[in-house]
Amino acid sequence: MTSKQTIKSAFESMLFVWGDPLDVKVAAELFNIHWKEAYSIFLELKNEYEQQGRGIRIREIDKSFQFYSWEANSDYIERLCTPVKEKRLSQSAMEVLAIVAYKQPVTKGEIESIRGIKCDKVIEGLTKKDLIEEVGRSPGIGRPILYGTTKTFLKNFGFKDLKELPDIENIDEVIREEEYKNSDVHPEQISLEMFGADDTAE
Amino acid sequence: MGYKVKLDIFEGPFDLLVHLIERAEMSIYDIRVSEITDQYIAYLEDLKRMDVAVAGEFMVLAATLIELKSRMLLPRMQSAETDAEMEDPRQELVEKLLEYKRFKAAAAQLEIREAENLRRFVKPQEDLSVYTENPEEILNVDIAQFMKAFRLFLQRKQKIEEVHKRYDRQKRERMSIEDRIVQMKNLFTGKKKFSFRELLGGETSRYNVILTFLSLLELMRQRSITVRQDVNFGQMTITVKDPKEKTGDVPAESEA
Repeated sequence: MTSKQTIKSAFESMLFVWGDPLDVKVAAELFNIHWKEAYSIFLELKNEYEQQGRGIRIREIDKSFQFYSWEANSDYIERLCTPVKEKRLSQSAMEVLAIVAYKQPVTKGEIESIRGIKCDKVIEGLTKKDLIEEVGRSPGIGRPILYGTTKTFLKNFGFKDLKELPDIENIDEVIREEEYKNSDVHPEQISLEMFGADDTAE
Repeated sequence: MGYKVKLDIFEGPFDLLVHLIERAEMSIYDIRVSEITDQYIAYLEDLKRMDVAVAGEFMVLAATLIELKSRMLLPRMQSAETDAEMEDPRQELVEKLLEYKRFKAAAAQLEIREAENLRRFVKPQEDLSVYTENPEEILNVDIAQFMKAFRLFLQRKQKIEEVHKRYDRQKRERMSIEDRIVQMKNLFTGKKKFSFRELLGGETSRYNVILTFLSLLELMRQRSITVRQDVNFGQMTITVKDPKEKTGDVPAESEA
């Protein structure tokens, strides 16, 4: 039985050599331990790096772990070598991606109905960038393609898993709060006004 | 004629409508339909005047707005007839706009995440083939076996060296194109016309045939000879040129 300290140290070396996100299950198999045990060891290692304030940190993406340079040091890294920055997504691509991320699995029709405009090109572009992918077919008429997000999406946006997506219900609240600020209308009044029905007078 | 301009400011009809509502400082829950419809249509007219093709989707929403406007003008029935609560005609639009706003906000959040994540750098997967290909073989033998193996190795090495010696000698025996040309030029001093077979002089080994042929090609290039072959696979006739004529030679002949 290999000691936990040895396994942890080995995992650290493996992360270094591997570069890409290292699957917890793959790592666990090498030591013949349960993946949950490996997972907790990875988490411990991750915490150690954070507690010690290291310039290299470990991040979790969909049950895999990867070394990355701490974001607070990005300026210094850019001074050193000007890394090639990936082109950022357009506004429309971001909107479609958001819809897919939150409503997946989702059809093109549903996306278009939310945005009120055709989205073929954008969907194609996102698929090419490997941010979304076909995840199946809807049982509806014509069996339209269902889209979902990929692991690359999680990686590029720094999410551990989909549960980490910002809470969209909170976004609702934010919108409402803005509304309160912008107008003096309160929810009770809204319902009253709906029956008042005299706002069309010009 | 006219320029085609693509306006990317509004991502769709809802985006435009949300913008107009916000600009008018209206509550999304209490849209002044008449006012906003006028603004919306005015915007589309502006676009048209500037010769911008307006996407069909924008027109669809314009139609929806106009319909809504007219429905708002109609007197509302008292809810006596139906038990259900009177529905605001704007309800459906409000819901759609709210949903759109939700995802617009979500997109903004994602954008922040993306920007944050761009400041994290990772190492790409390295080429690990150095480690995975040609793995080191581990020798698992005792010293006696190792000695025996080493002796065998020496014997084999000796044998190979012997073979190499013989091989080298054979190689030296083989004639080069240059040597063959000199040899043939000696022949040419006497007779001026040869058949290929004559040149071979009975030495029809594959090596000699190829060597002789390559030498002929080289001589042709130097325009010292002309070669003629009337039919495919037929007899080749080699004619030696008079060295004095060589400079005034007609190139076409050697190319034939």
